[in-house]
Amino acid sequence: MRILLDGFTKSFGPMTVIDKMTLEIRDGEMLALLGPSGCGKSTTLFAICGIHKISAGRILFGDRDVTNVASQQRNVGVVFQSYALYPHMTVAENIAFPLEVKKLKAAEIKRQVDQMAELVHIEELMKRRPAELSGGQQQRVALARALVRKPDVLLLDEPLANLDSKLRLEMRSEIRRLQLATGITAILVTHDQVEAMSMCDRIAIMNAGEIVQIATPGEMYRNPRTEFVAGFLGNPPIAFLHGVATSGGFASVGGEAIALPASVPLPPPGSKLTLGIRPEHFGPTGNIPIRGRISFIETQGRENLYDVTLPSGSMLRSIQPLRGDVALNEEIEWSIAGDRILVFDEHGTRL
Amino acid sequence: MTSNFRAWPVVLALSIVSAPLVLMYVYLLVDTVTSTAPGSLIPYEFTLRHWTFLWTPVPGRPDIWRVALNTLVFATASSAIVLSLSSTAGYVLSRLNVPFRRFFLAGVMVLHAFPSVTLIVAIFLVLQMVGLYNSLAGVILVKAALDMPLGIWIMKGFYDTVPWEIEMAGIQDGASRFTVWRRLVLPQVRPALLALGLFAFLSGWSEFILPQVLAPDNRVQVLSVYLAGLIADDNNFDMALFKSVGVFYVVPVILLFLFFQKHLMNIYGGGTKG
Amino acid sequence: MNSSKKLGLLLITPAAIVVVMLFLVPVVLTAVFAFTNMSTSTGISGGAYQISPNALQELRDHYDMPSVAERLSQSGFAVDEPGLAALGKAGIDADIVTELRGHIGETFAARRDAERAIRNLNHRPSLREVKQISDQFNRSIMNARYDSKAALLAAVASVMPNLSGAEHQAIIAASYTGWTWTTGNFRRMASIPGTQRSLVNTMVYVAFTLTLFNIGFAMVLAITTFYMPSRAAGFFRGVWLLPRISPPVIYVLLWKWLAWDTGFLSVFLGRFGIHSRNWMLDSGTNAWVFVVLINGFVGASMGMLIFSSALQAIPRPLLYASEVDGASRWQQIWHIIMPQLRWPILFVTCYQTLSLLTSFDLILLSTNGGPGGSTEVWALATYHTALNNYAGNLEYGYGAAMALVLVVVGVFLSLAYLRLFNYRDLVAKPLIEH
Repeated sequence: MRILLDGFTKSFGPMTVIDKMTLEIRDGEMLALLGPSGCGKSTTLFAICGIHKISAGRILFGDRDVTNVASQQRNVGVVFQSYALYPHMTVAENIAFPLEVKKLKAAEIKRQVDQMAELVHIEELMKRRPAELSGGQQQRVALARALVRKPDVLLLDEPLANLDSKLRLEMRSEIRRLQLATGITAILVTHDQVEAMSMCDRIAIMNAGEIVQIATPGEMYRNPRTEFVAGFLGNPPIAFLHGVATSGGFASVGGEAIALPASVPLPPPGSKLTLGIRPEHFGPTGNIPIRGRISFIETQGRENLYDVTLPSGSMLRSIQPLRGDVALNEEIEWSIAGDRILVFDEHGTRL
Repeated sequence: MTSNFRAWPVVLALSIVSAPLVLMYVYLLVDTVTSTAPGSLIPYEFTLRHWTFLWTPVPGRPDIWRVALNTLVFATASSAIVLSLSSTAGYVLSRLNVPFRRFFLAGVMVLHAFPSVTLIVAIFLVLQMVGLYNSLAGVILVKAALDMPLGIWIMKGFYDTVPWEIEMAGIQDGASRFTVWRRLVLPQVRPALLALGLFAFLSGWSEFILPQVLAPDNRVQVLSVYLAGLIADDNNFDMALFKSVGVFYVVPVILLFLFFQKHLMNIYGGGTKG
Repeated sequence: MNSSKKLGLLLITPAAIVVVMLFLVPVVLTAVFAFTNMSTSTGISGGAYQISPNALQELRDHYDMPSVAERLSQSGFAVDEPGLAALGKAGIDADIVTELRGHIGETFAARRDAERAIRNLNHRPSLREVKQISDQFNRSIMNARYDSKAALLAAVASVMPNLSGAEHQAIIAASYTGWTWTTGNFRRMASIPGTQRSLVNTMVYVAFTLTLFNIGFAMVLAITTFYMPSRAAGFFRGVWLLPRISPPVIYVLLWKWLAWDTGFLSVFLGRFGIHSRNWMLDSGTNAWVFVVLINGFVGASMGMLIFSSALQAIPRPLLYASEVDGASRWQQIWHIIMPQLRWPILFVTCYQTLSLLTSFDLILLSTNGGPGGSTEVWALATYHTALNNYAGNLEYGYGAAMALVLVVVGVFLSLAYLRLFNYRDLVAKPLIEH
């Protein structure tokens, strides 16, 4: 079901956290709300499920205006970060609860609960209590409970934050599998860009109560709209050089001059500029050579990450396949792929 | 504690300090089933004579079982009222958007620290005016009302520890706020209910001033008033009898305490009066 | 109104009603009663009007109306029509009534004169009849009760028709037997020496019990049990909780057994040639020792529990580290344990000051304020004034005024307490807004 936030505004007392935000989630899509903590993504989630009243604007589920509809009548499934399983009920009772509240017949409840247990692979856990389950199992139960009433939309609030790294990998694909299997519209709230990129059809990246950019993960990585987006996506992270525009190029604060491709519309010389250079676009191959000293080497297994300190003191990162020919503190001259440089003006807007 | 310091000097020192207290309680038990000659500290015979008050009432006093029943009714009823009203009001103050919530909260907080016994003069007059003086119902209500701010405060504290997500999940699952409270939140605070219920019961069972002032009549007498009356009666000095009645009175308290020590500690340690 | 509001109001109303009716209303009423002179003699409902000897006294002394008082006090007998009619109804012989009719208009100042005249009638009434007849002609208003002002004034007018309005008001005020509004309680409180004595007693009681036991001894208990194996610690904590969980009546009984003249102390010390006596009540000093001990043994347990749990919160490695650094036990207590107790000590001090100030049940049961009022603290004095004393005249108004002092202190201290323990955190807004 299509979800539309139209001019959604939320204030807490005198403080406006989100101001006139508009966001559309397409039917059957899984969308990530990505952003640092405090950016307003949880507030948005709470508004969609009805825990918060919104201060202005509308929320539409399909064509139905649910702005003033109570949570209970919205038909939204939520998986909380802590899973929020009812500790005094068994797994089966947990999953059955939404149906019992609907006053379905016992036989019907049992049928649907079993069906759901089978879908999330927890058939053998039905008699246990939440305290007797591992993190991943609790997560599956929470998913089953959220899905059992066939909600119009599934909200996932940092669902992987409490899992260890191995389980996180497993549940990432598991959640996506369930979403695709049920065809449900889903919103994933996360501060982890890897989660957002790997699980979702589209990402809405938020900062300070605003949606900065909405795009598919690949598009957003390649083509970030702002410095914030470029900095938020990518692991290892992008490196920034601060400086000013010159005619046809860029001069860093420390004095390095870098010629920029003609495709970039440059502001008048003297304007402040920031260059973003991803680690994979700085290395032995490239067209803009730059000298520096290797100040740190981090071995990641398949690849090495090099921190290169420029003479001015600025720093670039480079990620390259394993190689044994460079050592710490060695002076090197590597090159930047000029056409991949991201150029931002003084407000952080991409040029 | 840690192995660097020896424990026995501390144990010894504290044993000496605690001796008088232990002595008093040991003699409380011993004196009820023995006889001791005047001027002696060692009993000379075993006897159940001091317990005859159980089947033949002490002259001029009501039947002990009647009094015990009154006490039971008093303690049970006041604790039931405290429990049911604090478990609802505590939830409201912890979780629901009611008008004047801050006002209610501040009120409860001030009242829970407030020494209620200072109100007894006014309460005495109020009960006289509304005709509940010398009735069990009146003193039950008063006891419950005076214990309630503490009860509400304790319950609010326990409700505050129930994760909000549980409640949010319940709402998303389509349950009304009442169902959420009844079926999801209340089970989480069961230990608190048990502790508060016991606490209020013991507090009612021990209460002396309120029934003494508000319901002194023989018909509605409770054990504390009965025993105090017995002791105050100069014509009938019998320490062994006092102690036997005392043991009869205190045994339920000790038993409850032994069984539910863990639960009760929460409340006794967490700022009650006295 | 949304559903959570409705449910909230529904769930909180019963508790609110009970608390308001039996808690807040008494607070207000304490203030109200404090400005009355209610007592056993005035009763607590409305009163009547009666020209009693007291009322006359007041008219003479207070309103400077000796002549009016004199006149009101005189008994007066008058032969008149209403009296004759009443005699007829009372079954007096018709001949006597007829004869009396001839005397209509005669008055007598004293009963003696009236009765002599009646005895001298031709029909010679019997002694009983003389009494009956004189009663019917008694026109004195001395000691008669009137339910309303109007009835009183009518009666007064029958004796003294020409009184001024001010004089009427004075008679009404002087003869009223119910309670009245007054600020006299507070003036009296400020003036009598008993006030000062109870104040000093209260301070002694609170200061000694608090510092020696509720804080001092509680700390000793917490720290010593902290250094013990857990079984021993559990035993001692259990022992020291006994006074708290025992009902006060039985707990105090144990102390009486210890202190009475045939009790443990007397018998035990008797072995050493010290003659037996009531150790609790034989001198003011001893009484104080017992009052502080009795209250202190109960009070120590709260501090013990609170301090103990604060000590449990000290990270173990901190203790190990200090021992590795070569700290002695005293140094460990002073540098590691004591700083941890600062906040709990403040908490216990606040809480216990308030409850000690107003608790009196243990003193009531043990010394009852004696000997000779030397352990009569403010709260107990209040109780004795308003609810229970030997004289039998319970002064509710004055007692309420005394209680009001405690109520005011209580409100102030609990507000201070509220500020101290961050109220803000406790009233965070609910997260679910619907």
